Amino acid sequence: MSEALKRLLAYKSFGTVVFDAQFDIVDIDKVAQAILTSMGLRPSKGNLLDFFPEFIGSEEFIQQVIKKQKGDFRLDYVNRYDNSNTILYFNMLVLPGEKKDLGLLVLENVTEQARIAQALNQQRYELFLYKHDPEFRRQFLSESILGDSEAIQQIRATIQKLSKVPAATVLLMGETGSGKNLAARVIHYSSMSADAPFVEINSAALPEHLIESELFGYEKGAFTHAVASKPGLLEEAQGGSIFLDEIGEMPLKMQAKLLSVLETKTFRRLGSNKPIEVDIRIIAATNRDLKNEVDEKRFREDLFYRLNVVSITMPPLRELGDDILTLSRYLLKLFNVEFKKEVKGFTGEACQALLGYSWPGNVRELSNCLERAMIFVDKDTLDASDLVIVGSQTHAADRKPDRWTIPPGGIVLEEVERQLILSALEQSGNNKSKAARLLGLTRDTLRYRLEKYQLT
Amino acid sequence: MTDGTADSRICDEMTVFKKKICLLGSFAVGKTSLVERFVYDRFDEKYLTTMGVKISQKILPPIQGAPGGKMIQHTFLIWDIAGLAKFDSTVMNYFRGASGALAIADLTRRETIGYLSELCDKFKSVNPNAFLIVLGNKLDIFKEDQNMLSALKSKAADYDTDLILTSAKTGEHVELAFLNLSQKLGANQ
Repeated sequence: MSEALKRLLAYKSFGTVVFDAQFDIVDIDKVAQAILTSMGLRPSKGNLLDFFPEFIGSEEFIQQVIKKQKGDFRLDYVNRYDNSNTILYFNMLVLPGEKKDLGLLVLENVTEQARIAQALNQQRYELFLYKHDPEFRRQFLSESILGDSEAIQQIRATIQKLSKVPAATVLLMGETGSGKNLAARVIHYSSMSADAPFVEINSAALPEHLIESELFGYEKGAFTHAVASKPGLLEEAQGGSIFLDEIGEMPLKMQAKLLSVLETKTFRRLGSNKPIEVDIRIIAATNRDLKNEVDEKRFREDLFYRLNVVSITMPPLRELGDDILTLSRYLLKLFNVEFKKEVKGFTGEACQALLGYSWPGNVRELSNCLERAMIFVDKDTLDASDLVIVGSQTHAADRKPDRWTIPPGGIVLEEVERQLILSALEQSGNNKSKAARLLGLTRDTLRYRLEKYQLT
Repeated sequence: MTDGTADSRICDEMTVFKKKICLLGSFAVGKTSLVERFVYDRFDEKYLTTMGVKISQKILPPIQGAPGGKMIQHTFLIWDIAGLAKFDSTVMNYFRGASGALAIADLTRRETIGYLSELCDKFKSVNPNAFLIVLGNKLDIFKEDQNMLSALKSKAADYDTDLILTSAKTGEHVELAFLNLSQKLGANQ
């Protein structure tokens, strides 16, 4: 091979191996030696097939290449593992050698481009399988509830079982921000076909009369502004699931109507006598202690038992141990994409800070904390000092509602709530999504309360 | 050395052959999982699409060769080939020199059967004397679907071969599939 060609190949990081018609290696250049070393092999002169079993079976064809009876023999994206068991990809091209009865193997490490192509294929195939393969969808969704703690594994196992019983009513309980909404979606999408509807209504976000018309729909003329008939969310959820978020906030009158739907599987639109049959899964969620609400006569006992066919309690973040770090790393990846940053991870101190805090707002609070840190960080790791929780441990504990005491003169609860909303809006620069997160509310709930206190 | 008989050597009364075996099939039918189960006896629930080709090696138990012949033993070089979208000369090189192939469909995805014909035809065009066995994988989640089974049986009949239902997850019939292929190859040596 000419010196210029050798230099060109080396410049392009192509390794070359010269071998004879018996596949014995005659010469091996430095780049090829490095490639073989990266494959965990010791480069030496020996038989080519011992280093490259990929050519076994194709010997005759390769010999024809050496004799210039065939043009070349090429294998793309051959997988190999390095010493740390990381997958590497190589292109291998066999050409006739310059001298008689010699062959030239050109090796190229294409790991980087193969990884990009692999990631694209992975996404494309996963999307296809998600739409068309219920078993894949179940597995995929189950993995979206992150964590390895026993509590999370139990939740995944329960959801897996529920996915095979698409009619069972489910009650999700747990503190605000503990993942009830995510669990509801996983239950729905892992048990229904990909196009089955998932309809959500938040009982705390709507006034009573609106809950009723939203849920049941209405006929034209049913009330003053009913200028046209409208199907309710129960109808829209037909063949799918309806997620009744913050069910504990539902007014008693509405609870009675919902109970009737659960018992008869039928309902009527407002202003109509015609019963409509429904085939839906009901998933309800609350952060209240519903049993206590029943005792306090704020929640119907019969509805409680109807809803509580299968109940799942989402554990608070503080009880999940190292899962906090798993979630943090996942959120870090998301914020890296969102803010176009390349933060690699957390320092040991940051990990300790994350694990040491009680996270009363659970995952929502963790997400907010990391989002804020990611906005301001300009290093490639997050340190404890980048996290707002650092140094505010006492303050954070003080924020727990059970530490608050009412002054002897009493308070006006609605005024306190109003002030808290104003404070959250001020802190968030009037960003309602952020303010809602600070308050541990959904955006819809905050919007309702803003209207209630005429703060819009 | 003949094409398809990759490598052979004689150890006392037994001849050992190295054979190239290809796994053919659409994406996510379980090709990699079948190799993982057969070679390493393990299974991973997570789906990770294969890029290019991954070669594994496994020594099979000795078998009786042609009637009256010596005992033979196969070492399979198993080519786990990514689900392919096109068939250019590079892809045909993946098939070249193979003695046999397992053509795999997913029992829960009917469209994976249709794709097998194209793959098997291309494979046979490069290796006309190679043996094929049709596998229906994911038996563990298969809900008896007679139409699916009929379509697979018909596909196996097209290539005058057997149909074996397997589960890489539980391991059911996985070894049987490879041993069956070894027997077919052995009977012709």
